[in-house]
Amino acid sequence: MIVKANAGTVTNFEVLDLLNSKGASKDTTRVMGLKDKVSSSEYKVYDYLMETAASTQTRESVTKFSDKCKDFKLVKAEILNIINLRPSSDVELTPIIEKPDEREIDTEGILELVQQLLPPLPTLESEQEETENAEQEETAV
Amino acid sequence: MFCLSELEDTVRVPPDLLKLPLEVAIKKVLQKLFLDKVLSIGLCVSIYDIKSAEGGFVLPGDGAPTYKVVFIIVVFRPFVGEVIAARFKESDSNGLRLTLGFFEDIYVPAPLIPRPNRCEPDPCNRNQMRWVWIFEEQEYIIDDSYQINFRVENISYPPVPTERAEDGAIDDDGLGPVSWWEGCSERNNEDDDT
Repeated sequence: MIVKANAGTVTNFEVLDLLNSKGASKDTTRVMGLKDKVSSSEYKVYDYLMETAASTQTRESVTKFSDKCKDFKLVKAEILNIINLRPSSDVELTPIIEKPDEREIDTEGILELVQQLLPPLPTLESEQEETENAEQEETAV
Repeated sequence: MFCLSELEDTVRVPPDLLKLPLEVAIKKVLQKLFLDKVLSIGLCVSIYDIKSAEGGFVLPGDGAPTYKVVFIIVVFRPFVGEVIAARFKESDSNGLRLTLGFFEDIYVPAPLIPRPNRCEPDPCNRNQMRWVWIFEEQEYIIDDSYQINFRVENISYPPVPTERAEDGAIDDDGLGPVSWWEGCSERNNEDDDT
């Protein structure tokens, strides 16, 4: 039954984008109980993702960031974890990267890159705008 | 944390869905079958795409066509070592329980809570114990007011594929309630300057 258990990993942003393209952001249908296209479990995932850094990210910022990250000798999973969590300080970055000192990883450089390319975590005021932006980018993942 | 998996299944499309376009009808059946279920590959979150649907035979004695469908599904499958942002759910003397909203079986056992710590009855909730981390004579309480970062230590799938549990650790720098580490970056910068 399982053809390929791992057909690729996706970032939180891409999952959010997929749910948006299914119409998860149109809150009115949820209230009216027309859960035709988006199931309630998908809404739970959507609600969780809207609280994370994924809600402010755009396709360009994520691709650009993962491209630039290749210079840092990071493992793919670590890049993914950085994009999902968007660490803003050294102490938030250290648990993500395994033995950064032994591997001579430039954590300062990574943090600078995060600051440059990934928008900060959502605050309550900006959340509304971001939903609208995300809606406009309804492209397939 | 999320990844794609390719699955194959034999799907019976009930007659009341046949007025819909085939792909939509199959997606509906798949959603009902897989979403919010835990398979050996992880927790199924969303149907991503249908790769192929073959057949459509009506079996003898059955009133509906059956298709052999290959499809791609989004699953929640954390890896060991991953850091995930979660929220506090409950705590007792054995440790903490965290939630992601769609996934609630994240346990932080007592040995993986930062030490030295203290477990005391929660003054706000009689049914709960609360954990307090003591660091440089300051007390840091673990409660539901902040997002909690944890690192995946261990993932276990029970033999019957319905629920799944995950062990988390918060006993390292940068883990635990995010409020603990706010302002740390500024402090580091100050050190650099001097």
